[in-house]
Amino acid sequence: MRIMCTGRLDPAITARAFKKGLDGLLIIGCYFGDCHYISGNYQAKAKLDVARRLYEYVGMNPERLAFRQCSSGEASVFVKIVTEFTEKIKELGPLGAGGDRLESPLLIKKLETAEAVLAGEKIRWVIGKRAPFLKTGNMYGEVFTEHEFRRAADMIIVEETEVQEILAGLRDGARSVKDLAASFSMPVEKVFRHILALKRKGFVVPERIVGRSPLYTLAPKEV
Amino acid sequence: MIYEKERRYIIPFFDVPAERAEMPEITVSERKGNFTEVETGFTEDTAVTEAKRCLSCRRCLGCALCWAECKPEAIDFSIPDQILDLEFDEVVTTAGQDNTFEKLPRELGYGSFANVITDLQFERMLSPTGPTDGVIVSPLDGEIPGRIAIIQGNPGGGDDHLLSSLILGVNESILALHRNPELEIILVSPLCREFHDKFMPQTETLKGLKIIDSAVSGVESRDAAGTLAIKTRQEDRTAEEAVDMAVILTKPKAVAEPKY
Amino acid sequence: MESKKILIIGGGLEGVNAALDRAQAGAKVTILEKFPTLGAERIPRDRLITPEDAFVNPDLEKVRSNSSIDILTYSEIKRLRKDNGRVKAKILKRSIRVDNSKCTDCKACIRVCPVNMFDDFNEGFGFRTAVDYCNPTTGEYNIFKEDMPVCQRTCPVNLDIRSYVGLIADGKYLESLAVIRDRLPLPGSIGRVCPHPCETACNRQYLDKPISICFLKRFVSDVELSKGIEPAYETPERKFPEKVGIVGAGPAGLACAYDLARLGYKDIEIFETLPVPGGYLWVGIPEYRLPKKLLQREVDLICSMGVNIHYNTRIGKDISFDDLKKNFDALFVGAGCHRGLKLAVPGEDEYMGKGVIDCVTFLREQALGRLPKAKGKLIVIGGGNAAIDSARVGWRMGFDEVYILYRRTKKEMPANPWEIDAAEHEGVKLQYLAAPVEITGDGKKATGMKCIKMELGEPDASGRRRPVPKEGSEYVIEAETIVPAISQGTDLSLLPRDHTFKISRHGTFEIDPYTGETSIPGVFAGGDVVSGPDIAIRAIAGGKKGALGIHEYLRSR
Repeated sequence: MRIMCTGRLDPAITARAFKKGLDGLLIIGCYFGDCHYISGNYQAKAKLDVARRLYEYVGMNPERLAFRQCSSGEASVFVKIVTEFTEKIKELGPLGAGGDRLESPLLIKKLETAEAVLAGEKIRWVIGKRAPFLKTGNMYGEVFTEHEFRRAADMIIVEETEVQEILAGLRDGARSVKDLAASFSMPVEKVFRHILALKRKGFVVPERIVGRSPLYTLAPKEV
Repeated sequence: MIYEKERRYIIPFFDVPAERAEMPEITVSERKGNFTEVETGFTEDTAVTEAKRCLSCRRCLGCALCWAECKPEAIDFSIPDQILDLEFDEVVTTAGQDNTFEKLPRELGYGSFANVITDLQFERMLSPTGPTDGVIVSPLDGEIPGRIAIIQGNPGGGDDHLLSSLILGVNESILALHRNPELEIILVSPLCREFHDKFMPQTETLKGLKIIDSAVSGVESRDAAGTLAIKTRQEDRTAEEAVDMAVILTKPKAVAEPKY
Repeated sequence: MESKKILIIGGGLEGVNAALDRAQAGAKVTILEKFPTLGAERIPRDRLITPEDAFVNPDLEKVRSNSSIDILTYSEIKRLRKDNGRVKAKILKRSIRVDNSKCTDCKACIRVCPVNMFDDFNEGFGFRTAVDYCNPTTGEYNIFKEDMPVCQRTCPVNLDIRSYVGLIADGKYLESLAVIRDRLPLPGSIGRVCPHPCETACNRQYLDKPISICFLKRFVSDVELSKGIEPAYETPERKFPEKVGIVGAGPAGLACAYDLARLGYKDIEIFETLPVPGGYLWVGIPEYRLPKKLLQREVDLICSMGVNIHYNTRIGKDISFDDLKKNFDALFVGAGCHRGLKLAVPGEDEYMGKGVIDCVTFLREQALGRLPKAKGKLIVIGGGNAAIDSARVGWRMGFDEVYILYRRTKKEMPANPWEIDAAEHEGVKLQYLAAPVEITGDGKKATGMKCIKMELGEPDASGRRRPVPKEGSEYVIEAETIVPAISQGTDLSLLPRDHTFKISRHGTFEIDPYTGETSIPGVFAGGDVVSGPDIAIRAIAGGKKGALGIHEYLRSR
């Protein structure tokens, strides 16, 4: 598949590809410094690094997504990269069949969440800020270390995954905190905190009380 | 400082827990009779692994996403901090909104069990504009408790503290029972004379509230559902009450006078 | 008559009501609150309520519309000074970075903010985001930005820990060291001896264990050493002509000199009683914890900035304090606490120097190589770090047996737990719940100590259980050397007899907490001579505060 520049690749598409059953995805771009659009391949690398961290977190082997570089004149390098990658994927086997932390039907469900996370503006915006954060600093002029940037991305990965799971869990109607927590093995206290925060932000509203359980549902404009 | 209270929120990632690096040392026999440095320092690998454990705590990343999303353009990162030089004739110190309280005994389970909360948290929960819109729920499971205990956190805090915390406990009970008439509340605290004489008669008329004049010796979690056992000891008898949630009456920290 | 001006600190319910009352009475009121919003609804704590009047709301509208009340939210006092019966205040008003007159409360910002944090206003229920309203009834939006992370705020010199640890994680060791040196002149020494309050505060402890911040600092300084790199300690082009004198080449004095040199002062003279630099770092911290060679190198680097140290010069003896004051435009006193306190038991004075030697002298004379050869047994009395150091030094010197006597138990010991463990590990015998009664001797020298067993009674004011002697439980330990290590005090013999300094009842200087200035203008003090015996990094912080104070003083003259 050809795209104009690896920098144009939307990381959410990679999640959709895996969700549809792809076992491996190799993205080959130009060498750093050779980019026609100046920094496209740096951006690609930053995006894919975060996507790989996310896949690792949700339970897919991050090796399934690779970013390699070669120039259009290097046929032999290209062949080598592709051969190595296909070998690696053969070794891992089909998606969710032993080569990953989670097994298939559950993994596919998690990948749906991953797609929602990668499509969300929080993660996209912060990935886009990588270069300025490391070089000139944030809005306050504070420069990040690479380690710190990775931590910031990790924080968003973890929280967004939880939040997107909760929102997806509410898509089919009102549920209680306890019920939600049981369906995706998250500590109840944590779901409770997220529900309160989502309510504060206007994503979720309390619907009714059944027995001893207050039920929450998506705010009308979120459905 | 604000936003940095104890049970602060930190994001755990894959590498949690990860072992903290130990400092390598020379053996005891190598130390005898000389003054060679005992600690030999981290190797490069150890140091980098240890450094990577750092959580890089930062509130507000300064990413300006809010600024980009704000349609009325109300957000402005260029508004500067100000330093003001002012003169006054008098300085009055009052409690701000810090709501810090005296340390609670570990046995009361605050910090260990999610369904043990403070009176300050309960106050927020009872507020109609609060985080739960005034519905009383247990932070442990998000369910409405059937029976709660309000217990004294500083039995030795003095009569003034006992009086004001008891009144708060009763007030919170009045409000909670009004919101949820099926609720059962026990209030466990040593009573002080003034409370007994002035407020007890009215308190005793409240349906659903039971007062137990005793200190709490411990709070334990009893089962998978998180039911709490409130243990009291009076003379030589120990007693236990089972509840779904416990609220601890705290003693506010004295306001520190500013330094000149 | 001009109306009275009142500052009310704290904008809770109480503060808001006080502001309204005072304004009513005709005063001009400024109300200061560190939270980004004023007052919240509260349940009364002085009367019983009915469900209908459950919450008392501060009358914020009245406060806002009252022209006699100034509101300073999200603000903090930086400095308070009493001056001619009035109070001068320097206040930092932080920017909330949101123009609430334009805000339409659409919540778009809080829906996208990637940072969830502790919601103070709701006592930790749910989260607030970095940009948020705190009080739903007033809806004032604000962006909360912490000044520094908790480790940095806890560090007495506010080292940028997050950056230097992150740079180590990135493999940039020398950059990391440069970040440390920006605030701390002795990274290798402090990286070895600091009891690291930052690690005690580290957020990681709530997940597993804190980051090993202190040893990472040592690591980067070791990298520089092992690579043989000689860093350049630079001073600015622009120089100031004033002369500054510093008493004591300990951590406080050195830090003060370092910061002054970096500010552009070229005439800095340090006067040191001992023949060596570093103060307690040299003569108190034993070689096995901090090699002298390393300390010397770090001091030499500071001297390379044009700082001059006069050794073997005792103020009050070799040079009088008044002469010093005449010869310099400003003075910094960082004389430390180099006087060991006495046990006050019979026999102590009689055998002082004849088997009894206080821990300060013991450690100093050992560090300077002036102690006779060890023989027989050694008893150290006390539970602080100096006691442990003395015992571990004694064990290395070759005493047959080394005892530490402490009147409480291990749990109450003020020494760092890892130091206690190391001492036990090396074979030092710790005797808990034992107190000295009398030092025994044969008339010429000490031969042992009579002790009494203790038991723990009721907690005292410090919250620790008070040790009570058990009657009739006296026993004698034989020993040739006895080292009391109970505490240290200041030695103010540097000052003239008729000095007019304000001195606390602990014998320490009283200073302005914001500038380090003593009661005599132009004379500043910091370190142990102000705080009493304390850790090195706080002494360094005292030195830094003094340097800034001196700069401010000299520039405003």
